[in-house]
Amino acid sequence: MYESVHAHPDGQSTVARMALTASEAGYDGIVVRNHGDAPAPYDPETIRETYDIDVVTGVEVRTDDPSRASGFVGNHREKQTIVAVHGGDPTMNRFAVEQPSVDVLAHPMAGDGDFNHVLAREAAENGVRVELSFRHVLRRDGGQRVQAIRGLVKLHELLTHYDTPYVVTGDPDSHLHLRGPRELAALGEEIGIPAEDIEAGLAEWETLAERNRARQSDAFVEPGVWLGSRHDDE
Amino acid sequence: MKHLPKHLRPRWRYLAVGIESWPEADLDRGTVQRHLWYGAQNLVGDVGSAAIDLQVMSFSHRDGYGEAIVRTRRGETDRARAVIASVGRIDGEDVALRVRGISGTVRACEEKYMGRRPEGPEQRDVAFRGADRPAHVGEQRVDVATDGGFAGATTLDI
Repeated sequence: MYESVHAHPDGQSTVARMALTASEAGYDGIVVRNHGDAPAPYDPETIRETYDIDVVTGVEVRTDDPSRASGFVGNHREKQTIVAVHGGDPTMNRFAVEQPSVDVLAHPMAGDGDFNHVLAREAAENGVRVELSFRHVLRRDGGQRVQAIRGLVKLHELLTHYDTPYVVTGDPDSHLHLRGPRELAALGEEIGIPAEDIEAGLAEWETLAERNRARQSDAFVEPGVWLGSRHDDE
Repeated sequence: MKHLPKHLRPRWRYLAVGIESWPEADLDRGTVQRHLWYGAQNLVGDVGSAAIDLQVMSFSHRDGYGEAIVRTRRGETDRARAVIASVGRIDGEDVALRVRGISGTVRACEEKYMGRRPEGPEQRDVAFRGADRPAHVGEQRVDVATDGGFAGATTLDI
């Protein structure tokens, strides 16, 4: 199971500290999803070896203009393993689910964002993972938290009904915000999302990372077409 | 009052909880207990809070690292875990309470999960992101004082 994190300078802790904490909390990997305007300097290889945890490069594209977002997604697609779009407003939610080149639509219910059956079907068709973010459930209280829980439960209902692929995250900004997989599962169970679904959502990051790494490798031509190794008959 | 006969006494489970915070946060048993009760009330309500009956049994915390044993009713450990996970701030300080494991007795809990305090951090200046800054440097973890509060780092970053 993998967790996705905002690292320093987008968050408060460096990628290395996040990795160390996530490794101790029981994750197999982290996805670094800093916003496009605050990239983190880090060396995934060294961190992977030191703390025995996979480090996946990624970006969360943040803008309110779909045509600019399209450009950003194109730029990052080559370099980053996982490309997410900062959701939470109707235009950007719609944009993200329509783009097969987008991996993840992040927190679609944040702000004045909403989700419905049309978006759920579109996302399923384009293979865009929709994110169930526990950010506000973990770190807000009172009315805002009630709203976040309501949004999350609604989103989960839609996603399971339309078989839309999804990812789950606690969306930590610092190592102190990071919660382990069992913690997220227990919390999910409490608000009405089965623990198996939480675990599936955390595992989905890994599936996504593996798929994209395979696509980034030199042997990849297009989905379903690979350069095989040549065995000459001599 | 007379003790209950053994078969009627409540059964408990003891959760070993690791506590992490920024180095200058000052936590004590009372505040952590209070926030666990608030957290339970917010997440599972008065009824749920009474059912899981969280109680901080032993507690230690300094220099951003701590350990506690939290007691709950047997059969409520998942809900207790959810409540503990949802406590993110105590008296305005960010904290992480992480359940390390669950035991049936205090003693087993102590022997299996407690006493892992790392070497105390030393305070010195480190080079972080191109500037010298004061920091609390532990074996692996480094908390650097920056203009916008502490930044969490490790020995790989300095």
